[in-house]
Amino acid sequence: MKKLLSMLMVLAMLTTMMVGCASKKDGSQTSSDNGTGVTQAADKNAGTTDDTADASDNASGDVTIWYYWETEGHQKALNQLVQEFNDSQGNIKVEAKYVPFADFKKQLSIGASANELPDIVIQDNPDTAAYAQMGIFADLTGKFDVSNYYPGPVNSCTLDGKLYGVPFGSNDLLLYYNKDMLDQAGCQVPTTWEELLETAKKCTTDKVSGFAHSSVQNEEGTFNFLTWVWSTGATAYELNSEGGIKALTMVKDLVDSGAMPKEAINWTQGDTMNQFISGNLAMMLNGTWQVPTMRQEVPDLNWGVAPIPMDKQQASGLGGENYSVIAGGNEAAAIEFLKFATQKEQCLFMMKTMGYISADSTIAKDQFAGDEVYEAFVEEMQYANARGPLAEWPEVSDAISLAFNEVMTGASAPEAAAAKAQTTIDAVINK
Amino acid sequence: MKGIKKYFKYDNVGILFVLPALIYMLVFVGYPIIYNFVLSFQDVTVRTLRSNVKEFVGLDNYINLFKQDNILMTSLWNTLFFTVVCILFQFVVGFALAVFFNKNFKFAKPVRGLLLIPWMIPMTITGLMFKFMFSTDVGIINFFLRSLGIIHKNIDWLTNPTTAMFAVIFANFWIGIPFNMILIATGLTTIPKELYESAAIDGAGKFQTFRKITVPLLKPTMESVLILGFIYTFKVYDLVYVMTSGGPVNSTQLLSTYSYKLSFEMFKYSEGAAVANVLFVILFIVSSIYLKFIYTEGEE
Repeated sequence: MKKLLSMLMVLAMLTTMMVGCASKKDGSQTSSDNGTGVTQAADKNAGTTDDTADASDNASGDVTIWYYWETEGHQKALNQLVQEFNDSQGNIKVEAKYVPFADFKKQLSIGASANELPDIVIQDNPDTAAYAQMGIFADLTGKFDVSNYYPGPVNSCTLDGKLYGVPFGSNDLLLYYNKDMLDQAGCQVPTTWEELLETAKKCTTDKVSGFAHSSVQNEEGTFNFLTWVWSTGATAYELNSEGGIKALTMVKDLVDSGAMPKEAINWTQGDTMNQFISGNLAMMLNGTWQVPTMRQEVPDLNWGVAPIPMDKQQASGLGGENYSVIAGGNEAAAIEFLKFATQKEQCLFMMKTMGYISADSTIAKDQFAGDEVYEAFVEEMQYANARGPLAEWPEVSDAISLAFNEVMTGASAPEAAAAKAQTTIDAVINK
Repeated sequence: MKGIKKYFKYDNVGILFVLPALIYMLVFVGYPIIYNFVLSFQDVTVRTLRSNVKEFVGLDNYINLFKQDNILMTSLWNTLFFTVVCILFQFVVGFALAVFFNKNFKFAKPVRGLLLIPWMIPMTITGLMFKFMFSTDVGIINFFLRSLGIIHKNIDWLTNPTTAMFAVIFANFWIGIPFNMILIATGLTTIPKELYESAAIDGAGKFQTFRKITVPLLKPTMESVLILGFIYTFKVYDLVYVMTSGGPVNSTQLLSTYSYKLSFEMFKYSEGAAVANVLFVILFIVSSIYLKFIYTEGEE
């Protein structure tokens, strides 16, 4: 009996150990399940790709797209675009597949090492350089005319002078403010850091916090925080500079004065917007893509947008996605689809349904004619800074987000946090 | 004919029975472990993932990890602290509940069954539930503490580096109680009733019976519970990832979450593998000690 019991125990233990060790592999199994269709498609076309690469008229076969938009409206828009393309011709069949954002990088990394990738990915613009460096993206230089596009989005697709993607669409950040709350506190919309701090403090009551931006310790937080650094004239790689420390101190002052809730370090941009529309926030930083949701959810809320309060110069962060074509996949057919998707009519449809700004300045200019809020976002595009492009951007981003988290939680002083982050950043850049 | 018969004698047939499981283990457990070790001695990052030749760098990854702000040491310490505190509380409370429900009273069995629920709920759901309960402004825990007058200002449980670890430990403690309780309760039923009866006749008090009969006879069960609990808690991932993702400022960063972060958020695959190996080696040592326990007891 005792022997049997101990045998069972050993078995139980081994299973738990197995789970521990195998957890990393779970992803690869699912990815191969997902990927089989893709690989087949890629294999099927492997022979023809070479011949058809230049003569795109002959492009045919299946094309799979991976994307991570979780909003239902965004998914519907993409599916409609795909359907339209499939109906417009008979040779190429495109299919779009949703991969959750949290798994997206993991799936692409595993797919890259196991050669099981889709044909097109629509990915976050600061990550494009990393994947291009991995060598999984096809060189699209000369295949698309991007001369009319905004420089920020194009830079994010460019690595070593080659184009590895086509900007899908862009967004940027602005200051959202609750007009009623500002009026009540007797304040104007702030334009400088001093005014922001002052206004935020005045708007803070026991129920309402004056100001917040998403400060989670990941890319999302970095995206928001960097607007302060850029505004001082420093770059994202110069945290331990006068500007970098000043930006960190500014955030510290906001938190210490009680005007910015410390809990923002657990808020995604979606959470921040929810706090704003529930009336818990008087001001926030947030992006273009929130506008459709806000208009739908709280049509009565009296809000507006303004340029982000600045230190030395106006600055905003550039967000958005890029289309990239996987090297060795069904390249010819994928390029055909992208040519279709980047046409003015199709582009406008996607941008309008999703609340994005076209990366093509000729389209963006009159995309939102007459809409004050959107026009402010389009106007801000010229001040929007891109993150990267650098293959190791995720490492730099991690160092930056750690720094402002340390400062906000009071774990380190701005100078110490900046110095520490700089060591990491320098090690990455000088590698 | 005779040769074949001889071949299928007791021992050899045993090997045949074991073979399918052994092959399965080699492919799905052995291979990943070996691959992980190889990976940790190479330089595989975002730049080299797809190249055919991967540079062999020896122990560089491990050395780098110890140098880099020592997040590895922080997560190692966090993991140990998390495990020891969790086990300690789980074990004590689980033991107390097991002794309590071992008494024959009305509803003892159904209530004991209900207490198993925390163990059955998926970890991610428990994590989300506790994240919500611990939230600063809308969390029920702050609400209770405020209503009872224990605190006057909301505590920022999950966003403060000092309290975040406590919140995570509390959640895992809640999950682990049933596991400890059930195993100890099972152990209690194996102690013959006669021992207690004769002790009572000899005039032993409650505390004496507990100390002289229950504890010594439960020793093997307790050892198993503690070591299995250690292994289970040491490799926790989902709960912490959901509740804090290792933050704020790495204050709840564990070996498992750090390994994931290095590999899949920062694309430093080799360093991620190295951290996973540190985790593996520690668990391997603990498991070996455990196996040795069982074998020596079996021989006695």
